[in-house]
Amino acid sequence: MIADTQNFKPFNPDPIAVLSQSGDWIAPFALTLDDETLKTIYKHMLAARLLDERFIKLQRSGKMSFVAPHSGHEAPQVAAAHAISKGTDWLFPYYRDYAMTLALGQSVLEILAQTTGSRLDTAKARQMPMHPGSKTLNIFTGASAIASHIPPAVGTAISMKIRETGQAVLTSFGDGATSEGDFHAAINYAGAKGAPIVFLCENNRLAISVDFNKQTGSETIAIKAKAYGMPGYLVDGMDVLACYYVLKECVENARAGLGPSLVEAQVMRFGAHSSADDDTVYRSKEELELMRQRDPILRMRRFLEKQGLWSDKAEEKFIKETQLAFQTALDTLAEAEKVPLEWMFDDVYAELLPHLAQQKKEFLG
Amino acid sequence: MSTATLVKTSYREAVRAAIREAMKRDNRVFLMGEDVGEYGGCYAVSMGLLEEFGPERIRDTPLSESAFVGAGIGAALGGMRPIVEVMTVNFSLLALDQILNTAATLLHMSGGQFNVPIVIRMATGAGRQLAAQHSHSLEGWYAHIPGIKVLAPGTVEDARGMLWPALQDPDPVLIFENAALYNMEAEMPGEFKDFDISKAKIRRAGSDLSLISYGGSLGKTLAAAEELAKVGISAEVLDLRSLRPLDTETIMDSVRRTNRAVIVDEGWRTGSLAAEVMASIMEQAFYDLDAPVGRVCSEEVPIPYAKHMEEAAIPQIPKIVAAAKEVLNAHV
Ligand SMILES: Cc1ncc(C[n+]2csc(CCOP(=O)(O)OP(=O)(O)O)c2C)c(N)n1
Repeated sequence: MIADTQNFKPFNPDPIAVLSQSGDWIAPFALTLDDETLKTIYKHMLAARLLDERFIKLQRSGKMSFVAPHSGHEAPQVAAAHAISKGTDWLFPYYRDYAMTLALGQSVLEILAQTTGSRLDTAKARQMPMHPGSKTLNIFTGASAIASHIPPAVGTAISMKIRETGQAVLTSFGDGATSEGDFHAAINYAGAKGAPIVFLCENNRLAISVDFNKQTGSETIAIKAKAYGMPGYLVDGMDVLACYYVLKECVENARAGLGPSLVEAQVMRFGAHSSADDDTVYRSKEELELMRQRDPILRMRRFLEKQGLWSDKAEEKFIKETQLAFQTALDTLAEAEKVPLEWMFDDVYAELLPHLAQQKKEFLG
Repeated sequence: MSTATLVKTSYREAVRAAIREAMKRDNRVFLMGEDVGEYGGCYAVSMGLLEEFGPERIRDTPLSESAFVGAGIGAALGGMRPIVEVMTVNFSLLALDQILNTAATLLHMSGGQFNVPIVIRMATGAGRQLAAQHSHSLEGWYAHIPGIKVLAPGTVEDARGMLWPALQDPDPVLIFENAALYNMEAEMPGEFKDFDISKAKIRRAGSDLSLISYGGSLGKTLAAAEELAKVGISAEVLDLRSLRPLDTETIMDSVRRTNRAVIVDEGWRTGSLAAEVMASIMEQAFYDLDAPVGRVCSEEVPIPYAKHMEEAAIPQIPKIVAAAKEVLNAHV
């Protein structure tokens, strides 16, 4: 169905867009999403934006050690979550992907429990913020070393192919990550094996402060797919529906045995690289203001309003509900006790080995 | 040195001053790594150096540790004196093959033909609530490797003084800067001459036991010695400074006087640098010991995120004090 209507051509020189800045449908194919889905996609983006703002507040008040703001990256992230099949396909995200995991169904309580190191955290307060993970949702627990999650993503995809499970993998990363050996080694392997995987590069043209032009001599990331024997697509990463249609097609192709693809979503990083970064050192206020005019949330909102699907009132109501959900989760977390120190000795191995049991005993005195 | 020229300097400023001085003294010296240019380095060490020396000598690289560490080795072969900054030891693992298989072996395997005079600096250690993959202390692990030298400046003075001699060294030198130290301040002389990086140093004299430490644990060890002094225990504090080669002479000299020792090391206990120091003491000063040697290391778990857990997982002052008392109460 969808694949028939679109048939995106790889190695397109101009980014694929289906919505104009003013929110008009400009694609050569018909919109296939129903009203509820369209609204859900928008709500996911908006909730993610509010979550980002909340993260920053929590970091400033000392409740989280670290934030890598995802504002400006919402479109490909939310699109990816909608393009894959929840709980069936696997996600290997990177640290800026909370819009993705939120849209996939990670609850606000689960996210905030993890980022604040609560006793209610499924990762038992061991993993740092910006590294979501969930066994039930098939989300690989984030890796700190850039691009190091990509080879495991490929391995999972290859195993799906060999076992003929009909599943697919989606892995995401920044443009900087494509300079690491792990990226090249992994994507090459996926190409050689025809693995059912979609590589999503969220290209914000910055790796902390380092400009894209210093990162690679290549004009785009998408073009690199050619050398690995797979299609590469350039997408307007501020257009959530364009991201959705392209990613959906790639996921379906992967499932249909047509092999891997590389999607480069051209996004903009509205915030600093992280809470440890002062981005005013390497970019101007004016530059940022220009970027914000292309806000992916605004574009989708204009589209919905033109369809009569959204209004100021709906917006206000949704923001209120979302903030309330955050507050409720934070209240729950405030009541939880601290993580017991001896928990650190568990899960180093599947069983507590004798030497660790001894160390735990000494530790407890 | 005259006290008139003392200037208050942070560890971070000291490393920066050392880089600046080296760049001025030798135009073969250059700095490269991720975000070292305009951004000034992820720990703000190279702030302002791009303006002073330009983009070829303060060089931002693509995000690939293996590429820029390997390129540093190549630059050293090509006659340059590279200072390569790896953001943290955690990410140096992506360049481990270049460090271990190339830098450390080239001279030997080429029959002495190819020296690799490279300096690789990196931050190390836990304490910033960034979880296991950002909190490793692997300097002891690097100290296992023949062919490289490993330095761990634990004072502002060493942060300032170690770089130039490291650059003069014909062999690859790794410098580990514990991230918790960058804001530490001290009064510093303006000039450095004949700075010896091969010797361990006594940072506090004492007679009841030797507390042996380095890098990020040195300050905690000194604080523990202070606590011990309050209860009438005189602890000597020895700063290893060079983790490979180890200055066993100074270690033995101290242990022979105090007859007891505790090693404090942020690495994991099994196979740690602490284990190596203990083994050396056993080999060389066994008959001078009045008690088994003790050690305070990190718990053998990936360093957890939650603040109270992270603190509990790594060496802290009360643990050092307790270990010292235990060694003092033990009798052979
Ligand atoms: C192997 C490794 N090297 C360095 C870092 C430090 N670091 C964290 S994020 C980052 C930039 C990544 O940029 P990019 O891949 O473009 O993603 P973005 O942050 O722009 O979304 C760097 C250098 C790291 N985490 N891992």
